[in-house]
Amino acid sequence: MKVNGERVTAQFPDHFTLLEVLRYRLGLTGAKQGCDKGDCGACTVLVDGRPVLACCTLAATTTGEVTTIEGLATPEGPHPVQRAFDACGALQCGFCQTGMILSAKALLDREPNPDEASIRQALSGNLCRCTGYTKIVEAVKKAADTSISLPQKLGPAAEGFQVIGARGRKADAIGKATGATQYTDDLVRPRMAHGRILRSPHAHARIRSIDTSRAAALEGVYAVIVGTELPKPYCVIPWTPDETALATDKVRYVGEGVAAVAAVDEDTAIAACALIEVDYEVLDAVLTPGEALADGAPKVHERDWKGRDRRDNVCKKVDLAFGDVDGALAGAAAVVEGHWSYAGSTHGAIEPHCALAEWDADGRLTLWSATQVMHYLHRELARQLEVPESKVRVIQPAIGGAFGGKSEPFDLEICSALLARKAGRPVKILYTREEVFYAHRGRHPMEFDFRIAADADGRITAVDNDIVIDGGAYHSFGLVTTYYAGQLLPGPLRFGTYRFSSRRVYTNKPCCGPKRGHGSVQPRFPLETALDELAGQLGLDPIEIRRVNAMESGETTVNGQFVPSTGILACLDAVESASRWKERHGKLPFGRGLGVATSMYISGTAYPIYPNDMPQSGVQIRADRSGRITVFSGTNDIGQGSSGTIAWIVAEELGCDPDDVHVVSGDTQLCPVDLGSYSSRVTYMAGIAAREAAQGLRAKLVTAAAEHWQTTAARVLVEPGRMRHSDDGRTLGLVEVLHLAEARYGVLGSTGGYRTRQAGGDYRGGSIGASPAYSATAHVVEVSVDPETGIVTLENIWAAHDCGRAINPTLVEGQIEGSVHMGLSEALYEHHDFYLEGRERGLHKGPSLLDYRIATALDTPPIAASIVESLDPGGPYGAKEAGEGPLHPAIPAIANAIHDAIGVRLREMPFTPERIRAALEA
Amino acid sequence: MLRMPAFTLQHPASADEAVRMRTELDSLYLAGGTDLLVNLKHRLHQAEHVIDLRAVPGLSGIETTDGAVRIGAMTPLAAVEADPTVRASFPGLAEAVASIAGPQHREMGTLGGNVMLDTRCLFYNQTEEWRTALGKCLKADGDWCHVIGSAKACVAAQSSDSVPMLTALGATLEIRTAPGTVQTVALADLYTKDGRYDQVHTVPRTSLLEAIRIPLPGPGHRSTYRKVRSRRAVDFPQLGVAVAATFDGPTCTSLEVVLGALLPSPRRLPTLAEGIGTPWTDDVIAAVADRVRRFARPQRSIHGDPAWRRHLAGVETRRALEALRQS
Repeated sequence: MKVNGERVTAQFPDHFTLLEVLRYRLGLTGAKQGCDKGDCGACTVLVDGRPVLACCTLAATTTGEVTTIEGLATPEGPHPVQRAFDACGALQCGFCQTGMILSAKALLDREPNPDEASIRQALSGNLCRCTGYTKIVEAVKKAADTSISLPQKLGPAAEGFQVIGARGRKADAIGKATGATQYTDDLVRPRMAHGRILRSPHAHARIRSIDTSRAAALEGVYAVIVGTELPKPYCVIPWTPDETALATDKVRYVGEGVAAVAAVDEDTAIAACALIEVDYEVLDAVLTPGEALADGAPKVHERDWKGRDRRDNVCKKVDLAFGDVDGALAGAAAVVEGHWSYAGSTHGAIEPHCALAEWDADGRLTLWSATQVMHYLHRELARQLEVPESKVRVIQPAIGGAFGGKSEPFDLEICSALLARKAGRPVKILYTREEVFYAHRGRHPMEFDFRIAADADGRITAVDNDIVIDGGAYHSFGLVTTYYAGQLLPGPLRFGTYRFSSRRVYTNKPCCGPKRGHGSVQPRFPLETALDELAGQLGLDPIEIRRVNAMESGETTVNGQFVPSTGILACLDAVESASRWKERHGKLPFGRGLGVATSMYISGTAYPIYPNDMPQSGVQIRADRSGRITVFSGTNDIGQGSSGTIAWIVAEELGCDPDDVHVVSGDTQLCPVDLGSYSSRVTYMAGIAAREAAQGLRAKLVTAAAEHWQTTAARVLVEPGRMRHSDDGRTLGLVEVLHLAEARYGVLGSTGGYRTRQAGGDYRGGSIGASPAYSATAHVVEVSVDPETGIVTLENIWAAHDCGRAINPTLVEGQIEGSVHMGLSEALYEHHDFYLEGRERGLHKGPSLLDYRIATALDTPPIAASIVESLDPGGPYGAKEAGEGPLHPAIPAIANAIHDAIGVRLREMPFTPERIRAALEA
Repeated sequence: MLRMPAFTLQHPASADEAVRMRTELDSLYLAGGTDLLVNLKHRLHQAEHVIDLRAVPGLSGIETTDGAVRIGAMTPLAAVEADPTVRASFPGLAEAVASIAGPQHREMGTLGGNVMLDTRCLFYNQTEEWRTALGKCLKADGDWCHVIGSAKACVAAQSSDSVPMLTALGATLEIRTAPGTVQTVALADLYTKDGRYDQVHTVPRTSLLEAIRIPLPGPGHRSTYRKVRSRRAVDFPQLGVAVAATFDGPTCTSLEVVLGALLPSPRRLPTLAEGIGTPWTDDVIAAVADRVRRFARPQRSIHGDPAWRRHLAGVETRRALEALRQS
């Protein structure tokens, strides 16, 4: 076989795919394993210049010349397509991009100046979950035009800053574009074994016995474990420990793990799993909240974690009321009420979960894992494996997308650790795509009985919401979800009064959890679509009714959440003018329509998951004589670019180039604790920690320079790459200052941290949903609806997002575009759905990236992202979140646009052609 | 990752040798691999040997001979889609092939592979673990059809985009049924009503498809293909509507409508007298479309509400006819 111009030889069996041989025999790990079966395109390589799927190609039949991403660059540097992806910020997690780049290269070789339609067509077999394809299409256009030079330097910074606000390259973008970046499954350890988890075929069954003897006796099997070896129940929320790594007494969904094997290779591990005999007593299952809440329903959990009998399947209930809701309803000028259903969906990160565990001779565990909550995983591993936390190290390599789907401990992390200890060798477990669907923790299905009332001017006087949440088999973050479904709704629109009753119910399905916009995307659907109906009743324009209700900076919501800043009015202005709303809304021909929606989201939660008074984010900085600044941060860069944001902040404070700031993150041994990448907390919290640490170091440098000049610190100006005496203009280069400072202080370092300040309402649960700052978003969506088929085509989406200060606007735009894409995809195409009847009852309807449909480049319209900067008084340089808020409005904005197009209101998701046809015929 | 069972690859040097191997060995043919390898990962088949047809000379290429276009079975879909003769003479085939899966699948997949594509079903095209949890079905190692809820028949859907169009174009197949024996079979006659892998074709599964022949049409011939699917790429059809017609001035002199993604076989409409011998007024088109809608019997074997897909059969037929009237 000829690969990247070299003739290579490798030994492999005939049934090995080209992907396996490239990745695991030749060490060319740039081609990625995403879906197992040709549905995602992450494994794309070129054979004789043509893009092919390496996972559906046998290595032994490959006769042509193979080009992988590693073969694209030349000694002169990366290929123009790779440079264009870097320059345009077209990479986030980077996992799909190697395949995407090769598809783009094949297109450009064939068609040097493709138009946008050709580009989208050529990339339509490569799914991207991060970018919304917007910047990718832009990058391919740029790569096609050789006359455009690629920006390598920082763009202009915001006024008054040197780095903050400057567009710039993403940290490790070129590593990702060239395939050099290592993800967990790219790692290989000496003597490494492969693990596999045996999973339940039943939605609900008692385990009578498990016989692993035949599996253990199979040649090549190193270790077999069962659930009773890991008996301690756990949960990411320490108050609700209701699951174990492998089922101990009962299985509660199809796909739950019951045993695990480590063997010499995956084929042997699979064969061993088939030899494990599990004797099940099949039980009646409950698959919907309706079934679960029925009298006499079988209980998913008979007892809680304290051993108390459970009365029913309700795992959490929250009832809160603020003001006289009934009085406001009675006195309203207009009321809209009804039932809404929000369908479950899943994260669909293109990288499947993967973990690799290794114990050293001193009994210390190192676990490499695709996790976004390294610290919580660290704590749980120590507890499960019964070793001190000081003997556990968690490393998060580059991660191929997460979106909340990797934000708690998973079975494979705990099982690989125990298997590795028993086997006496490193053990890696990589989920199949199907297992990713069973691990799930995705968007909860919710049912709403919702009412909203307004006065004659359109002011919202009451919102009343009864919420039933389908939780699946375990708690996960469910305690928080149950609160978030109610607590995060009041804002950016002001409610006069508010009441919600929220119940999360156990069902025999994979456990739901936090997906981008945790718990709060769903209730936006009834709120923002009912508000449109309300506007219709009152004769108000949909944007106008939102303006009437828009909160102001410094206001407190009806449920007691203080909102220091909000730019919702500016967001509405931006999308109104960009979409030419005033000329077009309500005036387009039948079948074409515009819809608007808004949202607000937290910038981290005010309180950590386990109570403690320590910082939620810690940063250490080390500066050495070379001029390099090394920043140690326990954050998990999950593709959103948090390491780059930290580099921007440190560079701003020290007057250096962000390229000279090396951020070490994702390692619990090297880095101070950060609670992880969830709840959109990192820019705000780790940003403040990084700024504090950088300012500490800066003070030392300024003092050293001042002493050198025998002047005061006030006369030392920090400028790019140097310090300057404000009186006489003398300068010292940064390296010189570092030498002076090291001579003055010894080894240079500093630390910073972010600590919770008191926040939230003064009532039980008032702290859940409390955040130090809140973003705001508005979308306008333009759709075409084919009334005969019911098929919706998205024509344009304008999204304006208030992120406070945009520290690197390119990354912020990427978060907006990716959020919009994820939202539109769940609105129109995706459904994490289960069979409820017949013999298939309890089975997932399609645990693959073929049957679970993520929007391709051809299904995604141009997304016009605009940034609104309503500076937050508490955020670093005024910054707030950007990663999750911009998803929320997509769903109701599409529903509202469908109404503008064809006059029907959809209250059930996803908005399939079947539903639209049915609504038109009703 | 999801893994295939072990097998030994065979590299036959000729078509006769390939057929001999397929007959004598516990084996399967491998063309582009986009479907077969996934089916192996799903453990839908077990075979000791896989016969690599890429090694066989003479199975690839497009040529015009004896009043027909002959497309070698191993010709990549992308080459069919781009071929000037195909585009000029059979625009409907170019449209159908361009609608198959994603760009990479079309570079890898072959026209012969797409013609011989196994029927598909939501209860069948799943992993071994998933199918075990359900209980195996009639199509593979079981005795029950989960679609119709009985043991009577397998109603997995014919899911190739090229087949309905090729059927409407009157394509024939050159099939090597045994070493030294090549039969010509009309594509329309290839199918039974039983969707099982080894039952769906009227020729044995050991046969080797070598080429697809499409008669070159006379003047006034037009064709088009309309595909219904959720996303604009990657997805298999939820419905395929292939239409071929000949016009003498404004008058239609022949009309073929073939539907895909309904039952195990492509569904060819019996003579559509409504549309023949007359110019296509809106009323004529509506009558044809209504006939097609009533004829269509979608099953829940694949994604999409059957009643909606049936409604779409009428809508898409009407649109196809309107497009052909214009062109």
